[in-house]
Amino acid sequence: MSRPRGLIWAILIAASLAFAAAGAARDKEELTDSRGVLLSIAKAPAKERDWKNPYEGDAEAMLAGKKLYLQHCAECHGKNARGMRNAVNLRTPGVQNATSGELAWFLRNGNLWRGMPSWSGLPDQRRWQIVTYLKTLR
Amino acid sequence: MSRRSATWLTYLQHFFSPFSLAALAFAGLLIALVAPVTRAQDTHYFVAYSHHMEEPGSLEIEFSTNYATQKAGNDFIAPWVEFEYGATAWWTTEFYLDTQSTFSDSTLFTGFRWENRFRPMMREHWINPVLYVEYENTTDADKTLKEVVGFDNQSDFAEPNSELNKSYGHEIETKLILSSDYKGWNISENFIAEKNLGHEPWEFGYALAASRPLRLAATPNRCNFCRENFVAGAEMYGGLGTAASLTLSGTSHYFAPLLAWELPNGVSFRISPGIGLNDNSFRLLLRWGVTYEISGFGRKVRSMFR
Repeated sequence: MSRPRGLIWAILIAASLAFAAAGAARDKEELTDSRGVLLSIAKAPAKERDWKNPYEGDAEAMLAGKKLYLQHCAECHGKNARGMRNAVNLRTPGVQNATSGELAWFLRNGNLWRGMPSWSGLPDQRRWQIVTYLKTLR
Repeated sequence: MSRRSATWLTYLQHFFSPFSLAALAFAGLLIALVAPVTRAQDTHYFVAYSHHMEEPGSLEIEFSTNYATQKAGNDFIAPWVEFEYGATAWWTTEFYLDTQSTFSDSTLFTGFRWENRFRPMMREHWINPVLYVEYENTTDADKTLKEVVGFDNQSDFAEPNSELNKSYGHEIETKLILSSDYKGWNISENFIAEKNLGHEPWEFGYALAASRPLRLAATPNRCNFCRENFVAGAEMYGGLGTAASLTLSGTSHYFAPLLAWELPNGVSFRISPGIGLNDNSFRLLLRWGVTYEISGFGRKVRSMFR
């Protein structure tokens, strides 16, 4: 059987183009809403925006959130959460002015087109623990 | 030496075949080059896929193997190495190198596979679809059984390696992955359609899976043995016949419980004893694997060339 070289080349070219398109999408600048919250976070539906953090003010949850942050987020946002490369500074008003519900919604959905992964694979409890930690960075 | 010890010695010789050692050495070199690690949000399935993608720029190196007891042939192990890379947050690409070693027969490199998974929807939904496309270039001696399709039957592998390895195929495999997260559970359904490019009919299969961490909330301290680091679940998979005959009759099916252990340093282990559910299936498919996740791999590689 002859090797389908044409097919392999077509797949490789398509993959290269997709890489380039994905990189271009990540380089666009993000805007904020009237509260100064990044639009990608402010897109959270009204219902989710008003969600209450079940761990609000819980010191243990904050420490667990810090541990999770270092495991999952620090590689892009930096250990001090001040942002690196395309990942935003999490101490800025663009993030800190968001409600806990908006942050939890954003962690669950991510912003895939701009390079922020969805963390829906983490249980709700762990995402809320991360939000609890993020809210201490103000 | 007792017969049992001799069996295990043979087994270890097969497991640590030249291919396995070379793959491990290569994986070790990669790890040494780019030390920082992270933890992924894996479901740890062996056959099924969920909608959770590799984090962008992260590389996951996995060394897994599949041990099967054959009814009509010699038992075998089929180790494979996979390199999973998060090209973007919505696209994960993965490259596999397959091998197998049949007891009292031979050890073979059986081919490679390149798979790509795309998330067409940018938000989380009740059910999240993922499109999967894979190109396979493997011989008939490939025994990794990463999926079961068509009328795949345990007797297909009973022939000696010298016979099986004579024919190889180019195959395109597509999957529709549907996956949901609910209260810490992941529930995934995969519908598989595979086409041998050599004028064979489309073959179909399925994989169903569910998993959940043993503890949903994290503890404040770093720990290795706490329940939050363990994921338990189960998979069920099998063939659904071909385009000419879409049926359950004559196909093979498996049920496989699953346990994974995620260590804080980016290493995870998983094991899954699969049980054949009918006469067409292997009696036992014991799979296990070790995974190492390197975060920011793409960025580190790019920085080497600046």
